[in-house]
Amino acid sequence: MLSVALRRWSAWAPGIEGAEAWRAWSAAPAPIAAEGTPDARFLPAMLRRRCSPLSRAMLHVAFDACPEAERAAVRTVFASRHGENKESFPLFAGIAAREPLSPTRFTMTVHNVQAGLFSIAAGNRQASSSLAGEEDTFPTAFLEALAHLEREPGRSVLLVVGDVPIAPLFQPLIPEPASSYALALLLARDGEGTKLGFEPTGERRRPGPEPRLAWPQGLELVRWLHDGEPSLLLGERRGWRFRRL
Amino acid sequence: MPDPRPCRLAALGMRNALGRDRHEIWPRLLAGDQSRFTLDRERVPGRALWFGAVQGPLPAVPRSLVAYDCRNNAMTLAALEPIEDALRDAVRAVGAARVGVVMGTSTSGVADAEEALAHERLHGRLDPRFAYTQLEFGGVAGFVAELLQLGGPAYTLSTACSSGARALASARSLLALGVCDAVIAGATDTLCGLTTNGFSSLQAVSEELVNPMSVNRKGLTLGEGSAVFLVLREPGGIQLLGVGESSEAHHMSAPDPEGLGAETAMREALADAGVTPEEVAYLNLHGTGTPLNDSMESAAVARVLGTALPCSSTKSLVGHTLGAAGAIEAGFCWMMLAEAEAGEIALPPHVWDGQRDPALPPIRLAEKGERARAGRRALLLTNSFGFGGNNCTLLLGRELDSGGGAC
Repeated sequence: MLSVALRRWSAWAPGIEGAEAWRAWSAAPAPIAAEGTPDARFLPAMLRRRCSPLSRAMLHVAFDACPEAERAAVRTVFASRHGENKESFPLFAGIAAREPLSPTRFTMTVHNVQAGLFSIAAGNRQASSSLAGEEDTFPTAFLEALAHLEREPGRSVLLVVGDVPIAPLFQPLIPEPASSYALALLLARDGEGTKLGFEPTGERRRPGPEPRLAWPQGLELVRWLHDGEPSLLLGERRGWRFRRL
Repeated sequence: MPDPRPCRLAALGMRNALGRDRHEIWPRLLAGDQSRFTLDRERVPGRALWFGAVQGPLPAVPRSLVAYDCRNNAMTLAALEPIEDALRDAVRAVGAARVGVVMGTSTSGVADAEEALAHERLHGRLDPRFAYTQLEFGGVAGFVAELLQLGGPAYTLSTACSSGARALASARSLLALGVCDAVIAGATDTLCGLTTNGFSSLQAVSEELVNPMSVNRKGLTLGEGSAVFLVLREPGGIQLLGVGESSEAHHMSAPDPEGLGAETAMREALADAGVTPEEVAYLNLHGTGTPLNDSMESAAVARVLGTALPCSSTKSLVGHTLGAAGAIEAGFCWMMLAEAEAGEIALPPHVWDGQRDPALPPIRLAEKGERARAGRRALLLTNSFGFGGNNCTLLLGRELDSGGGAC
């Protein structure tokens, strides 16, 4: 089992923000709302204006979880199952209608847009990954964060995962409930923090007509961090085990 | 001393405008064959542009995987088919639970989503063959995992034009972490309205064929394709020896004109492998042919590697395959190492109009028929620089006097 120190975390969902609100949600977890955006008060105003709802949510938790003095120094992993699907949809539709494409809108819908914005806003020149892993985007992103720690054990990794509802026309195509959320975890190879074990179990699972969880897998980790259980099994397509060490 | 992180690139499958597998691609690569580019007036309204499009049918995605049936996944299947036996042997040897998949893409099934929406405009509903799985980025790795019934981790990196290089970097780390005993890693991109119109709207696409490093360069030529590697934690053969990565903190769609991010990526790849610049035999340039890329990249290359090292951009042979470029160009380096003999490496030529830009440092651009001398170890670099300022340089190598086959 791989081990890692969780140094800090920050989560956001519509109406749920701050340590107290997440403690309350974790005691009585419920599905997450689809609509809403964080105030993103940590972000410079100019950057905030350029952000899509997803970028705003992901950068909000990224800045909250990572102290200012470390923002230029961390490696980063940004993960989203759907990315800027909703923002891209009008571009796909515009292509289908043979309308001209806006270069700015094209640039701001690439999957690594949050990584680029964070790098610019934080002056961060370190290695950065952006990824997606279908239903299991959160645990695969956690693994990619550990892959960065493998490459450079002395440097912390900021893992940021988030999603917002996809384009309405596509929503009936997937069973996942539409929700908006973002989670940032500041991880280190060792040192101060909550010591976690993590492993892919190698088990193949099949997504059912309903997801196993009524809320995003990343937020299930938040819930588990508040309860006393020794381990947590996640996954729709694979098994992924977290353990308290 | 044995390498504590052996990472053998044990097999390579590839499909792009140059051909169907490495045996077809290799001679055309060395010949500098540009005959497969096609002129197209449809993809970008009002512009006639060259594309490195893959012609002819692609293999059929199995019916059981209809949710993954899009052109992008068919392209992956086309790359993977020539090495499918090697992949299945590896899965049998280590067990499906221990085989991971890391793919890269910038498009996934966008082309199919555009068609589904064109259908919706006409008929009021999405084409029933369209599935969301085809469009989501994660589905590129998901498709490979389902095809081979794998139980290991599967995810897709999407960092624009460095995605494919980054997939190999992550594969090496998953092996070093011990969570996988084999990783199928590579990248696929396919031409679609979004990227062809997007890069055209950014005024990055040339009306003429890409002309990298030339004083007459006017931008890139887009292409498509896929490269897939079997990556094993074992010594010997062709190794991924070094990875260098950086971000730029500069601009969402333009590189830092000084090339500092590119310089960092190259320096770190060398340092990661413990290699000096003098030991490297060749560099595959990112070489997109945009004015800014080529000026910043040649400046960074001159600072890190000097102006005597032979370099080439192979984008004038297959086009810029975006998310797949890092894997395809690592694949070209792999072929060079696989074909190396008697201390000599045949180099893919830098195909251009031969008109140097006096504003650029005079880096050495490989001529047709040129061969590089390699010492005991043949070492090659490949650069990938992505949109949003995401850079990744890989260093591949092979011991030439180790005896036995390379691959």
